[in-house]
Amino acid sequence: MVFDPTSLRPLFPILSQPAYDHPLVYLDNAATTQKPLWVLDAIQDYYRSFNANVHRGAHFLSDRATNRFEQARETVARFINAPLQSHVIWTKGATEAINTVAYGLEHLLEKGDEILITSLEHHANLVPWQQLAFRTGARLRVLPLTSKGEWEEEYARYFTDRTRIFAATQISNAIGTSTPLQVMLDLAKQQGAFTLVDGAQAVAHYPVDVQALDCDFYVFSGHKMYGPTGIGVLYGKNHALEVLMPYQTGGEMVRHVSHQATEFNVLPYRLEAGTPHIEGVIGLAAACDFLCTQDRLALLAWEQSLARHVYTRLHKAGGIELYSPEKNTTLVSLSVPNIHILDLNAYLDSQGVAVRAGSHCAHPLMAQLGVAGTLRASFACYNTMEEANRFCDVLLEAIDLLNEE
Amino acid sequence: MTDPLGQQRPIDIKAQLQACRSKEDTFKTLVMLSKTQPRLTAEEKTEDNKIKGCESAVWLIIEEKDGLRHFKADSDAKLMRGVLVAILSLVKGKSLADIQQMDLKAELAELNLSSYLTSSRTNGVLAILDKITSH
Ligand SMILES: Cc1ncc(COP(=O)(O)O)c(C=O)c1O
Repeated sequence: MVFDPTSLRPLFPILSQPAYDHPLVYLDNAATTQKPLWVLDAIQDYYRSFNANVHRGAHFLSDRATNRFEQARETVARFINAPLQSHVIWTKGATEAINTVAYGLEHLLEKGDEILITSLEHHANLVPWQQLAFRTGARLRVLPLTSKGEWEEEYARYFTDRTRIFAATQISNAIGTSTPLQVMLDLAKQQGAFTLVDGAQAVAHYPVDVQALDCDFYVFSGHKMYGPTGIGVLYGKNHALEVLMPYQTGGEMVRHVSHQATEFNVLPYRLEAGTPHIEGVIGLAAACDFLCTQDRLALLAWEQSLARHVYTRLHKAGGIELYSPEKNTTLVSLSVPNIHILDLNAYLDSQGVAVRAGSHCAHPLMAQLGVAGTLRASFACYNTMEEANRFCDVLLEAIDLLNEE
Repeated sequence: MTDPLGQQRPIDIKAQLQACRSKEDTFKTLVMLSKTQPRLTAEEKTEDNKIKGCESAVWLIIEEKDGLRHFKADSDAKLMRGVLVAILSLVKGKSLADIQQMDLKAELAELNLSSYLTSSRTNGVLAILDKITSH
């Protein structure tokens, strides 16, 4: 049976409003997804019935808050198949998770060591490593793509005995390409490198199993997987988390403090300084619950069919450069020769269609593809085939309008 | 539509933009206005003339004649060219002192433009206004 996205629409009331005088068509899901009632209600419920600081007070509300907070950790651990819930560290998002690792590993890096990333990376998985390289004298190396956006065959040679860290995205936010992660992670491990996978664009679409991936670190943001903003996850293997120097210190992360010295707390608290984003944690767990009640492979197949439909229609229409893969992706990234993507974006917006035009926080990738930016339509489980078609219709209309002189 | 910029009186541009009843109208009007402005030559599109802070590339050249300011501008985005036509229609041929007296943001709001521009592009517009009103 084909998945029916309209069955999910009542869970996302935000989508039923008009944008200007048109039905809102939300296709900017790779930037952030909308939140189901599951999440909205969970957050309300937290403030209405168990708001208190966690791990501190010994009173009715604080116990409830702490229980729910730690249950949420268990939920997220299960969601990514982490073996232990103490391996799930709360961060404010993928960006903070990557920075936690980049600062945390600094004490292990020496001049001449190599940090390897790919040319698909979002700035969040590039700038922290580049700055780490500047601070330590390590060398940042980048696995290249061909100009067609495909992987070069010979990437094995980039993994050397100096590679200390390998950090790669699972899926490109800008063009939707997947990295051949398993092969690359194996190569990195053979060199004894720490491995980090940026799952920001994967978690909403793919069931994630961090044990099967067997990476040292896995990071993602809640807001891209139907959860709230301001909450994300750093998963790590025990030994990998243990070697991280906490890059933030303060309350919560300590066991004993005197003016002379501080004894740090155990994992996960050691890496969670300060009062955490409790409502975010509760909301994220609700997002995981929401996804776990769905047939995730059916959602994925649906999202891919929308992207493929758009790809095929636009490819047939001609005159459009398509940067995303034809198959097995949940977004379509494009540009039109001689028309500015911001002009296309503005027309789509005027018709109620929300997409993203720009460099998608991936300047080096855009440079490699030879464009300043692309227009990206990215799909989520609640998008319908009518919406996919509406995007195509309005885009083609915009092209006609902007082409005439 | 090939009127050189000089022939579009500010009042026309203002009336056209104010008559827009929807975002789509404003879009189409800006695209039409964009065609009324001569493009800059490659030599004129220098780094110096480029405005920082715009999502699209914007170049703005200011020429002073007899104490009055004249402008030439271009962008790689059509819509931004339309916005430039609208902005420059407000200030062209005026002295710097007069321009500095104007509340340009309010005047742009009157043209239906502030709501039209996304905040990141509004920032670009602010950079344009800065240049127009600086020495
Ligand atoms: C692939 C990828 N990595 C990292 C990030 C950063 O996520 P956040 O801004 O939520 O920290 C994003 C967000 O766009 C992304 O798409």
